[in-house]
Amino acid sequence: MRRLIVIASALLLLTLLGIAWWDGHRVKPIALIPTLTGKEEYCLTCHSDLPEISKSHPVKTFGCVICHGGEPLALDATLAHSTLRGGANPADYSVVQANCGGTNCHSGTAATFSDDIQRSTTSIQDTYAGAIAVMRYTYGAQSSLQAQFGTSAIQDPLSTSGITSLKMFDPQTETNPELRLFGQNCLTCHLSAQPLQNGGRYDHFTGCAACHTPTQAPDLTSVNTKTATLVHQLTTAIPYTQCDACHNRGNYDLRTMTFQPRTDTATTRLQDYYQPIAQFTKCEWTLDCIDCHTRTEAMGDGSLYSSKLDIQYIQCQTCHGTLTSLPKTRTLTDPNDLAFRLAQLNPVVTLQLGDTILVTDKGEPLWNTRLLPDGTYHLVGKATGQVFTFKPVMGSGCLQNPDDQSSASCHQCHSVQR
Amino acid sequence: MREEKLSRRDFLKLARNGLLTLSGLLGLAGLLRYLSYQSQPPVPTEFILGAPTDYAPGSRTVLSQVPALLIRSTSGFTALSLVCPHLGCTVDPQPDGFTCPCHGSRFGLQGQVVHGPAGKALTVLRVENAPDGKLHLFTN
Repeated sequence: MRRLIVIASALLLLTLLGIAWWDGHRVKPIALIPTLTGKEEYCLTCHSDLPEISKSHPVKTFGCVICHGGEPLALDATLAHSTLRGGANPADYSVVQANCGGTNCHSGTAATFSDDIQRSTTSIQDTYAGAIAVMRYTYGAQSSLQAQFGTSAIQDPLSTSGITSLKMFDPQTETNPELRLFGQNCLTCHLSAQPLQNGGRYDHFTGCAACHTPTQAPDLTSVNTKTATLVHQLTTAIPYTQCDACHNRGNYDLRTMTFQPRTDTATTRLQDYYQPIAQFTKCEWTLDCIDCHTRTEAMGDGSLYSSKLDIQYIQCQTCHGTLTSLPKTRTLTDPNDLAFRLAQLNPVVTLQLGDTILVTDKGEPLWNTRLLPDGTYHLVGKATGQVFTFKPVMGSGCLQNPDDQSSASCHQCHSVQR
Repeated sequence: MREEKLSRRDFLKLARNGLLTLSGLLGLAGLLRYLSYQSQPPVPTEFILGAPTDYAPGSRTVLSQVPALLIRSTSGFTALSLVCPHLGCTVDPQPDGFTCPCHGSRFGLQGQVVHGPAGKALTVLRVENAPDGKLHLFTN
């Protein structure tokens, strides 16, 4: 009996020592109480090495859970991640409303410039309505080029384009085998589609992060050798290489209805820029795509459209004017002007009240430009910070007919060979 | 001298007592640790700022621990919260007011909105000269 008592005492001591050892070695939580939620979360216990995602979303203010979901007080990785919304990408369109929405965030109104989710989820980049309409029209499945289908069903009762809804495109219901093949092989580049991840230069995320979380190096030195990295970053300084991840990764072969990846290896920025078959003026490849293409062109205006041609409207004359007219400008007098908001998000320029900037035909501010006292203009690269000076066409020796304003007309004299 | 031999019974008794004592001490340490555990302290809503004379007339002092700006004017002490009413970032004091580094809202010297996205002015906080002779600032 005495021996049993000693053994039991030894076991008790061992158990207590085991508990003490476990307690000494268990993870000590790093607590954060974000200003916005006021609720404690322990995510930084494991993720304190992540950089701030952006200046607009400081972790001290937002924390992690409000954007990512998850179990805020769990210290076990599996449990903590069990209720994540969107996994590593909270900006995927299937979860973006829950993660990034809200009237003060990204699903507010156009008047407060916070209708980003409405814009981007109805944009042609997500609905892919133009390509679907063209294909269905080409193969006789519909009688006009007006979009009827998108990558998902979507309603837009306030649409200003005349298209108030799109049905979901289901290739299986198409009778033409080419359209079924199209659906099978050619729906990989809208913003909700899972990209063809190949560990290379065309990898990208879905949803907002496809553009705003660059996975591609912004310079040529690492082009073709870089691999997509999971990065904790949101930015509006989007380099052309990120646009290339969708827009310059290859072509769809309509004879075989398959995607043909780009096979050439670019060694210069000119070669790397957009489709090898296209012509370029110098500014088209020395600038980044976002230096000319506006927020509305890239993200839409909140209405549904049948073609990208219905929403893309920037031309050479937007910045250069014509022989008979100068480009449109606006002197900034309203401190609430969108130009200030956009410049604040990507401070490559410091705008002041009284500055005169170029604006588009729709009044969108080209906030990274400025009219100089000598009548020339500055443009600061949004992704590079590089300063470009350019002149208006008016007063130059340009021989162009002012009515011929397509880029093809300008390319006749100003294209760069490659 | 004759060496006293420890009987088996005494050895077992000694071992038992020793093990139980150690277990008891360990258990006691665990209990004390449990009883002394403090959960995350609540976010403070009252801050003691020291004597009024610590702040020169006309001064504007950033209190980063709040965060707030303590203003001493001819009419006394006032304080402005430096928490942006838009989403809660900490605004930066500027010579002509305040700017929010997150989304660019601007506020005038009195905390009024100059431009959004913030739709409300910076919150005015209560400052009291308490009976203990010190300034107390309240955020609630």
